[in-house]
Order: sequence, then structure tokens, then C-alpha cells
Amino acid sequence: MLGVFVCQCGTNIAATVSTDRVVQAAKSMLGVVHAESIQYTCSDPGQRAIIDAIQQKGLTRVVMAGCSPRMHETTFRRAIGRAGMNPFMLEMVNIREQCSWIHSDIDEATEKAIDLVRKGVARVRRQKPLQAGSSPVTRRALVIGGGVAGIQAALDIADAGIPVTLVEKSSTIGGNMARLDKTFPSLDCSSCILTPRMVEVKQHENIKLMVNSEVEKVRGYIGNFEIDIRKKASCVIEENCTGCLICQEKCPSKAPDDFNVCAGESKAISIPFSQAVPLVASLRKEYCRLFIKGKCSVCQKVCPAGAIDYEQEDIVVTEKFGAVVVATGFGLYDWKQSYPTYGMGMYPDVINALKYERLLSASGPTGGRIERPSDGKEPRDIVFISCIGSRDESVGRPQCCSIGCMYMAKQAILTKEHIPDSQSYIFYIDVRAAGKGYDEFTRRAQTDFGAIYIRGRVGKIYPRGGKLVVMGTDTLAGDQVEIEADLVVLATGLTPAEGAGQLARRLNISTDGQGFMAEGHPKLKPVETNTGGVFLAGACQGPKDIPASVAQAGAAAAKVIGLLSQEELETSPMVAEVNQLKCAGCFKCRDVCPYGAVEAQDARDGQVAHVIASLCQGCGLCNVACPPGVISLKGYTDNQLIAEVVEVLR
Amino acid sequence: MINLSQTVKEGAAVVAEIERRSGQRITACLQCGRCTSTCVAAFAFDYPPHRLMHLLQIGLVEEVLRSETAQLCLDCMTCSMRCPMKIDVAGVIETAKAIADEAGLRDTEPNLRLFRRGFLNNVCRHGRLHETTLLLWFNFRTGKLTNDLSLAPLLLRKKKVRIFPPRIKNMRQVRRLFQQVNRGAGPPG
Repeated sequence: MLGVFVCQCGTNIAATVSTDRVVQAAKSMLGVVHAESIQYTCSDPGQRAIIDAIQQKGLTRVVMAGCSPRMHETTFRRAIGRAGMNPFMLEMVNIREQCSWIHSDIDEATEKAIDLVRKGVARVRRQKPLQAGSSPVTRRALVIGGGVAGIQAALDIADAGIPVTLVEKSSTIGGNMARLDKTFPSLDCSSCILTPRMVEVKQHENIKLMVNSEVEKVRGYIGNFEIDIRKKASCVIEENCTGCLICQEKCPSKAPDDFNVCAGESKAISIPFSQAVPLVASLRKEYCRLFIKGKCSVCQKVCPAGAIDYEQEDIVVTEKFGAVVVATGFGLYDWKQSYPTYGMGMYPDVINALKYERLLSASGPTGGRIERPSDGKEPRDIVFISCIGSRDESVGRPQCCSIGCMYMAKQAILTKEHIPDSQSYIFYIDVRAAGKGYDEFTRRAQTDFGAIYIRGRVGKIYPRGGKLVVMGTDTLAGDQVEIEADLVVLATGLTPAEGAGQLARRLNISTDGQGFMAEGHPKLKPVETNTGGVFLAGACQGPKDIPASVAQAGAAAAKVIGLLSQEELETSPMVAEVNQLKCAGCFKCRDVCPYGAVEAQDARDGQVAHVIASLCQGCGLCNVACPPGVISLKGYTDNQLIAEVVEVLR
Repeated sequence: MINLSQTVKEGAAVVAEIERRSGQRITACLQCGRCTSTCVAAFAFDYPPHRLMHLLQIGLVEEVLRSETAQLCLDCMTCSMRCPMKIDVAGVIETAKAIADEAGLRDTEPNLRLFRRGFLNNVCRHGRLHETTLLLWFNFRTGKLTNDLSLAPLLLRKKKVRIFPPRIKNMRQVRRLFQQVNRGAGPPG
């Protein structure tokens, strides 16, 4: 007793496919007792018509010819469930996205629609009733990345009473925001607003903070992830270290100061900045004299807390989580290779804006005095150049970095505050300041702080008599211009953080062309990913500023809280099943299963395969791999798929 | 080639002077170009109004003070009315004109000065502009007696100009206005 419902989707389908002809054709198909065409099947009256037909004609199987299953399969499963049918006795036939939308000839499109319906009828005739299972939910969340987005997400989830593990790659949380001097457009001191939140993370009873740690392996699925986290050896016993900094003072091995973007110098054992959380030193073996030359141990000798342990080894912790928030943030575009005319890094006074931020910061290596790197002099004429590695097809980066215009205006304002007789010049392509109070802020940089905005890209920078000559153009004056600058600051674009691609592969989530993590839907699923239970927060998803990152983190946290407030999750009944009587025990299925859902079970003559239904995600790999073809996917059996192909080829 | 580090520094004093006397902020100009879009005289200018504003922004004061724009601007104020940033663009140009005058930079177009004087004298005498006498006077003074004379029949027929000067109600007030201005800022024109 099979019913076929053909949706017109207004004119979306009906304009190219003659739904009446599809209905006529369906009526003559084997087993079909009812066929009708409905203007909008997903509407309330549409669903009621379907339910009425099921109840009046006693239908047991339904074919819905309309949009894609992704769009409305759940809607119609519920509808036929309400009519008293098994919800899985449904086949969605896509005659919209894969038919009416892509064809223009009515006859041909109609013929194709009929073929597709025939295929659907063949499959659903061989469908058996299925029962959805359920799996328990691990009430614990993992947040990857301890920047402002990760901090916000962790705090929001923890405040809801859910235990959170916050994993941070470096030795302190805070991320890029901790490096900023002030924030636009309010000019709030960045660390003044961030530090309390960092401390809150440390003190929160529901948050377990793991620094120097990285996610290494991910198993499981939504509600039940099992994740290996590698805690790298820092040669410092975290519980003992008091953050007294004596080791850093006495350490004889110099090391690059990553936190200050190499504006200053650091030591092999160090705490990156004074508000670091946790306030614990960590040792970088690649710069340590003991590990390079085999002789030193100064830090161990001077440490009053006995916190140094050179024998420390990496630890791998395996924990279960119900949900994951990715908040790995951003890195900066390395401009040196792509912009040869800007000196390729040969001129020490051409720096990126994050380094300049450290020079502006009172907690930076110069204590807030702007000193140019080459000779330590205070600069007078400062040139800012926007869109370095942004909006530039020639270096393969067409997108807008979305924050450059704002931070250039901010830095121009701060520069004037630091050096009142300085003059800032800003080369821009457009001033993009689309945010609350943002445009007013860039205007203020010009009217109140005298920054001169020049519309045009810079062609070349070269040194002349202790200064840097910046050759550009002023398209508004219509002429070439040159500026003798003391310092050039480049507004470089944002890239995904280092290692983000690898993490994405481990979590089985996709990335876009630039390597940023892909959201589930650009409009309607901005914090979800295509992998259930994995959410995104902050600049790992795309360039964004602090308020947007915090907002997205809050949204991701809300999704996690919603997910983890359920006792158990309904699982799809479309899972693999082994005909154990015929299984030869070769375990090819176990080898290919990405979810570890196949196990060996003892049988009379040796071992046979068994599928753990709660782990199986119904991907079908085992089905393909099985040599005798005795493992099959419920709802997508070989029998059903072959019948479909036969009908299409008929 | 414009050397910005030089022009910005060297022009700073004059730009500040224009800003002070006009009460306008040159830096507030967005370069949207609405002033030029509405300008009725831009076709005759060397620099359209928005360009003039930008030249001031980058300190090219010499170009502005010597520009034809500063001389030819009609002071119709349309640009000032339309400016989205509420900048009195005409006021800026007017100030540039005055500063150029004081510096003796505006001798490129003597007839312009003559016309402006005749215009104001005409208004002073009749209380409002009487085109016929102004044109006759201007043609007489420039020695081109037949200039634009062929337009006269059409203009008269369409009543665009009148043979006899207009009468206004309170001549005394107009005279007093002119006297006050003359006392304050020197002779008109």
C-alpha cells in the first residue's frame, strides 16, 4: 500500500515539471494505490492532506517527491509518524534541486522526475520498518583554544553547571587579545578587560584548564566523543611553580619573544607576560643550553620552589566529551615573501601591526615608548598600509581582513596620544568600518587626531638617508605621492591559526579555501559544523573582531548547553548489520570503519563481526568493503540500491 | 609627484588659518563628492570643490589659493547645503579666496574683479540686481560694447531682464547693510 505525493513547491517545481503527469505516471507504478500533487506539501494543509490520505487509504509506505531530504526529510518523517506509520517507511525523491531547478525543458524535466519517482518507489517497496535508537550523552564539553572566544565559551558552558576542559596550545590563555594595547572603538585597555576573565577561568570550579596541550586524536560522535589530549612537557611542575620569575632572570639562553612578536627578547625558560594564566614558567627545549649543549641547569638551581623537572615527559590524557567547541583563533599573514617591493623584511622599520601594538603597549618590551626597531628612535612620520595579504588576488587572498581599517585608525589615534607631534599617514583602498560606532571612530582618527588618509596602494618602499621612502599614489588627488617615513606599519590580513587544518581533519570538519573552519550554513548555522556536536567560535571560522568573536562564543556555548542538557540522543536506525551466519571473519569491515563500531564476536567456528549500533554512523564503508557482501546498511541494503539502479536504467 | 611629508608640514599653517577663519574642519571631508555633484559652476573650475577640499587635506595650499575655483565660485552655497558632513564648503572656498586676496595672489583675471565690483555696486544702488544696467556698465568698462547684445531681445521678450530698475521698499536698510560691511572688511569686490 504505497502512496506518492508530488510537491509543486509553488512554482519552484511546477514551473518546470508537470506534476500532474508525474502523478499520472506514479499511479501505474507497482504497489502504488494513491498519488496526488499538492501545492506545498510542507505547509500545514499539505501535511494534513498526507496524513488524511494515509489514514483513509491505509498506506504503509510513502514516497515524497519534492525538495532534498536535507531540507525536509525530518518534517515528513514526523508527519507520517503522526499518521500512525513507521516514520522510516518514507523515501524522499528530490525533484527540485536535482531536477526542476537545473532543467528548463518541461518535457525532459518531467520525464526525469518520473524516473526518479519510479526509483524511489522501488526502494521504499523493499524498506523494512526501523526503530530509532538512543545513546547516552557525556555531560562534559571540550573547548579547544584559550583566546577570548575560547575563554567566553568555556565560562558560559561552565556557568551552566557543565564541566569544561579548556585546552590551550601555548603556556598561557589569553590568545591574541592579550597582546593588544587598546581595543576599538571604545579604546578600552585590552588586558584590563581580558585579565579578569582569564582569572575567572582559572578559578572556575567547572573548568579544567590544560595549557601546553593539543588535541591529538578524536574518536566517537555527537554526545560521545573520546579525545586524546597531549600535554607537552614544559620541564616545570605546574603545581609547584609560583611564578616568581627568578628562573627567567637567571636563564642564560636567549630565545625569541613570540608573545611580543619578536619586538623584544625572551629566555628559554619564561612566562610570556605578567598576567599570564596560569602564572607558570615553561621551558622551550629548542633554545635551552642544557638540552643543546648538555650543561647548565641554572634554573633548577635557582628555583626556590623545586618546580623544575628536566625529566618531564609528554602525557596523553584520554577523556570523554559530549560536545566540542573549536576556538583556535587566527594567525597573521606572512607578508615577507609576497611583497618584494616592501623589502621582504630587509628593512627593520617595516613591521606588522601586531608588533606595533606591542610597541604601543605599556606592558610591551619598550614599556609603551614607541621606538623604531632599527635605532630605537622615536618616529615622527608613520605610514600605515592597509590590505597586506587582503583584497589582493595576486597573492591569492581576495578576502577583506575585516578588522584592518579599524585597528589602523586605532593605532593612528594611539600614536598621536603617545607622540603629539607625530604625523600618521594611512594608505587605504576603502575604509570599511561597518560596526556600531566604527565609522565615527575612523572619522575621529582624521578630525581629532590628524591622521591623513590617502586612497591608494603603496608601490614601493626603499631606504634613503635613515628614512624609508614610501612611494604611493593618491587617487583622489590623481597623482603619485611619496612620504619620507620613520616607520611603516603593515595591516596584514588574518589567516587560520597554525595547525588549524590538522585539527579540522582530526575533528572531521571542513575548511574553506583559505583554511578557515567551515560553518554548517553561512546564514542559519553560523556556529555549527557539518559534524554533529562540534561547534565554532571566533576567528577560526573567519576573520572577525572581538565583539563578534565573543558573541559567536556565547552562541556556541548555548548550542553546547542545549545539546548536553539532554539525557540521551536519538540515534539513526540506519546502521550497519552483519548477517553473522554468512560472515567469514575477515574483519575488512573493522579495518575501514572510521568510528570503531565493528568488533569481533565469538561464534561456533571462529570469530565473526558485530556492529555496535550506538557507535555506527551509517556511512556504509563496511558495506562496500565486505567481500561476501554480508554486512549491510539498514534502509540502504544492496537489494534496495540495486532495485533503484535497475528502475532508473529501465 | 607630490612629496606628502613636505606638503603636509608646509601647508599646515595656511590650512589651520582657513579652518579657523571659516570655522570648518577640512579633515571631516569624506571625499564623497556630493559638493561637486551639485555644483553649478564646476564646469568652469580647474579643481572641482571636492578636489579642492582634498588638496587642503594633503596641504597643497598654493594650488588652492591660486586656483580658478577660488575665483570663479559663485557662492551659491548649494555645496554647503548638500554636504553630508555639514561642512560649509562654500565658506572654505570663500576663505581661501579672501586669504588669496590678502596675499595678492588673485590678479590672473582682472575682469572678474571688475564684474564683482560692478555687481555689488549695482545691488547697493538698486537694492537688488538690475541686470541691464550691470551689463551695459560692464560692457562700457571693458570696451566690448556689443558683448552679449544679441541676447537682449530674447531676454526682454521672456521678461528675464527689465529695462527699468526695480524698486524695493526699504532702500535705507540695504545702504546701511553695505555701510556696515564696508566698515568691517574693506570695500566690496
